[in-house]
Amino acid sequence: MTTTASAPRRGGSSAGIRRGEGLAGWLFTLPIIVILGLFLFIPVLMALWVSFSDWSGRGSPLSSNVSFVGGENYAAITSGGGLAERNFGIALRNNAWYVLLVVPLQTALSLFLAVLVNRAVLRGRGFFRTAFYFPSVTSSVAITVLWLFLFSTTGVINEALSWIGINGPNWFNDPRGILHIALGAGGGSGPEALTSSGFLGITWWEWLAGPSVALTALIFMAVFTTSGTFMLLFLAALQNIGVELNEAAMMDGANAWQRFWLITLPQLRPTLFTVLTLGLIGCWQVFDQIYTGTQGAPGKTTITPAYLSYTSAFTDQQWGIGAAISFILFLIIIVFTIFQRWALRERAVSRRRRRPYQQAVAAAEARKVGAS
Amino acid sequence: MERYTAVRMIGAGALMTTAALILAGCGQGFDGDSGGGATDSGDLTSSDDALTIMIGSSGEAETAAVEDAVAAWSEDSGLDAEVVAATNLSQELAQGFAAGSPPDLFYLSTDQLAGFVDNGSVRAYGDLLDNKDDFYPSLVANFTIDDEFVCAPKDFSTLALIINTTLWADAGLTDADVPTTWDELATVAQTLTTDGRVGLAFGAEYQRVGAFMAEAGGRLVDEAGTEAVADSSENVEALTYVKDHLADGSFAFAADIGAGWGGEAFGKQQAAMVIEGNWITGGLSADYPDVEYTVAELPEGPAGQGTLQFTNCWGMAADSPNQEGALDLVEYLTSTEQQLAFSDAFGPMPSIESAAADWEEANPEFAPFLAGSAYAIGIPTNVGIAEVITDFNAQLESLATGDPQQILQSVQSNLEAVVGG
Amino acid sequence: MTTTTALTQEAVLDGPPAPPPPRRRMPPARIVAQVLLYLLLIVIAVIYIFPFLVQVATSFKTDTEATSDPVSLIPSTITFAAYERLFTRSDFPLWFANSAVVTVLVTLGRVFFVSLAGYALARLRFRGRGVVFAMVVAVMAVPSVVLLIPKFLVLNQLGLYNSYAGMIIPLLVDAAGVFIMKNFFESIPPSVEEQARIDGAGTFRIFWSIVLPMARPALVTIVILSFQGSWNELSHFIVSTQSPELTTLTKGVAGLASGQLSQGNQYPLKLAAAAIMTIPVAVMFFIFQKRIMNTTEGAVKG
Repeated sequence: MTTTASAPRRGGSSAGIRRGEGLAGWLFTLPIIVILGLFLFIPVLMALWVSFSDWSGRGSPLSSNVSFVGGENYAAITSGGGLAERNFGIALRNNAWYVLLVVPLQTALSLFLAVLVNRAVLRGRGFFRTAFYFPSVTSSVAITVLWLFLFSTTGVINEALSWIGINGPNWFNDPRGILHIALGAGGGSGPEALTSSGFLGITWWEWLAGPSVALTALIFMAVFTTSGTFMLLFLAALQNIGVELNEAAMMDGANAWQRFWLITLPQLRPTLFTVLTLGLIGCWQVFDQIYTGTQGAPGKTTITPAYLSYTSAFTDQQWGIGAAISFILFLIIIVFTIFQRWALRERAVSRRRRRPYQQAVAAAEARKVGAS
Repeated sequence: MERYTAVRMIGAGALMTTAALILAGCGQGFDGDSGGGATDSGDLTSSDDALTIMIGSSGEAETAAVEDAVAAWSEDSGLDAEVVAATNLSQELAQGFAAGSPPDLFYLSTDQLAGFVDNGSVRAYGDLLDNKDDFYPSLVANFTIDDEFVCAPKDFSTLALIINTTLWADAGLTDADVPTTWDELATVAQTLTTDGRVGLAFGAEYQRVGAFMAEAGGRLVDEAGTEAVADSSENVEALTYVKDHLADGSFAFAADIGAGWGGEAFGKQQAAMVIEGNWITGGLSADYPDVEYTVAELPEGPAGQGTLQFTNCWGMAADSPNQEGALDLVEYLTSTEQQLAFSDAFGPMPSIESAAADWEEANPEFAPFLAGSAYAIGIPTNVGIAEVITDFNAQLESLATGDPQQILQSVQSNLEAVVGG
Repeated sequence: MTTTTALTQEAVLDGPPAPPPPRRRMPPARIVAQVLLYLLLIVIAVIYIFPFLVQVATSFKTDTEATSDPVSLIPSTITFAAYERLFTRSDFPLWFANSAVVTVLVTLGRVFFVSLAGYALARLRFRGRGVVFAMVVAVMAVPSVVLLIPKFLVLNQLGLYNSYAGMIIPLLVDAAGVFIMKNFFESIPPSVEEQARIDGAGTFRIFWSIVLPMARPALVTIVILSFQGSWNELSHFIVSTQSPELTTLTKGVAGLASGQLSQGNQYPLKLAAAAIMTIPVAVMFFIFQKRIMNTTEGAVKG
């Protein structure tokens, strides 16, 4: 972070130069300080205040009429027992399933694509990279509009499914959870044990409903648009992996699958970490697609906390609740990121498992020395 | 982080907080943060500012009609006025109020009314109207909060049964077969259901299914508006009736057959009958002029006839700089000839009694809509009702596989939090 | 994947590994594997490209054909009705103009401010540099969803709500951009600047005439990223404007797709709007694709 020390300056103008540098430094960074401060820092503080107040939406939130109500808004969302809690529970459930499905799928798919493209010949590589990355460049609004068309009742997807004899569902209008459908439960009530109690106003049975069919269409869209970006990250990492280890493993008779799993993948750990972090952070903030595409329908199964925060404030005029939801979401994202960092940390490998690896490295080195 | 840098961070934080407090002082806050109640103290504001009118349009026909009316008034009065068709009316209104720059006049629905009155966003002007005695009492009651007549009803509509006469005749049905009871409705819908076409379609929302509830004798909130009665046995009966026929395929929700609303399902002949309100007439003549239809009153349920009534009013913003001009415009827009013109363009019925006779004469085929007003019930107007209805609608979407008792119980508990207090 | 065992055996039989032999003679199994690989890649690429082809094709179909025959790429009757409606009976040209104005101004502004800040953080020694940098890092951690309501409140307080200024100013600085420029400046040797300083040039002059021209590759990256970012931005425009004259493409098309004005399934119209909206970013993408892809790859090292 610190720059290298420059050669000692000669002459008496050093003090003058340094002073000019200090002033210039502040001047140069002034725009970003002002803008970041004004439009990022202070707003967060203001929203924090609104989340602890009873501002009703008219006039300034900093005026004297607005009073401090403590954790009332947060309590209403997490334990109030009313619609606010239920809506928050539904939003959390939807987003949790979304994250659960999108992050592994997009990571796996982008890794798979990267491996494939990596093996392609140089010229073809450019074309395939472009093809897979293009969806990431388009705006979420444009892609959502396209997706609404593709997945409509008489759209491309259902048409294609009908060629193989499947009657596609009315994607964006079907509120049934896919887990429920898989268990044959459709939408009817589940076992007594699961419907009698719940969390955040939703019964456990509803928590386990899985993403709705509509949300599943959105999941496909997320994987479609983000796999390109992450593929590029993996590609870069793959091209940085040295070939010696791979060759050594080939000598030892490891097949491609073993080589991938035991050698390539561990070396991709930093990229994997990046991809997972970016994926998690991105998935917990789904908003544009909901705003453009479904507005929470059908049956509130595509409401996400980000969208709920927006509608609570801007449509229902419950600004305190909206702000509270966004801060809880912030917390959730932080928790997930920390957890993921902990889960993927470099753990000391046990000596027993280390040995074959060390042997392979030593053998590769020996061969290199021997060959030269 | 070393202590030195930590101290720096705290210093920066202190700087930020100070800046925030300074902002609070010199911020462009707005005076007028009145607490509850519509602001009615003092005179209306007046200026030469142009007026903005925000509407939640049902289609091009409505937007064009309102624009024409406003343009005519503009010429007459010499004041500029602009009509804005909102993409999401409630959101744009809320944003406008919070920002202190709302439209001067806007469509205000019964379920939004109480909320905006509560936080002082709307100006009550009903008693200042020249024609205030001309409005239907039931409509005035819908827009009266705390004995204050807040805003002028702009029109009203009721739900009725719209029947595709061509498909009707093709199925061998005659005028005598127009259903007057639930059983007859079921039979007729069954007859009209064929491959690719459903007998009866309607939106998956309380604003349609509520008609069945009314016919069974149930409602969401009692007439006085003080008690939640959503989980009554009558409502269960109504929802069970709907559920049974959703299951046997003769009824369908518009979204489930690939239509955006009942009117589209009807126009594309995906449904032979729909339950819709007056606005469907304008939509059909604009988008599906070839479909021939007739309007009939909804059939009787176990408790007799029932339907829902919808009305919006012209809300006036408390922050409007030219409320006098807005009042003048409202009087113009609710005059007999203007209301008849609107009715012509996109279908709703005039909100003033003196226009009723003219309207019936001009639209004899739409008489069932007006007849419905005799027994129609409106959407409840308690604060926070909008959210409850949204949640109800979300649950109605899975009515086909759901449990009416459970759905109504959850609505009841949500209502109890909102009503009575 | 039996080909690898074949290769292994071959390598063993041929003795200790030599530098990779010229691939003159490929075992048939290997060819099959390559062909399969390419087949798989092509199939997946088709799946990725097909939706966009459908999009363009549908924008030239009639409404009824769009619903009755969604898959075909060649409309049975080519019609420009959707485009006509889009350009004459909606505010689409206004949206496009608004988006263009905002994007250009934001891009220019960002390039300037972000390179200024990146240079200062990389090169200039001034008290509080650590704090500023920590602030930039902290800002990057705040998810944008938390900022929806707050930004609205602040824009209101400052009187910038519903104005071009309110749309542009908050977007002028991007923490990630500062990072990129800072990393870049740190990677160039300071010798040239030192020389200029000794010759008596002021800091800004050094920055403007000497360092900035050297930073062209990084600047191009910033241009691309900010063009993409501001053209595709939605939530900021939702909270910062309300009047129809300030609607941008993203907000307008979102309204087309979902608002009350979207009665009926006017798919050709909506897809035409989405297609035109994508063209500028797509053009940018194809021109600069090498750089874009290398930047993302570089992020993994950074």
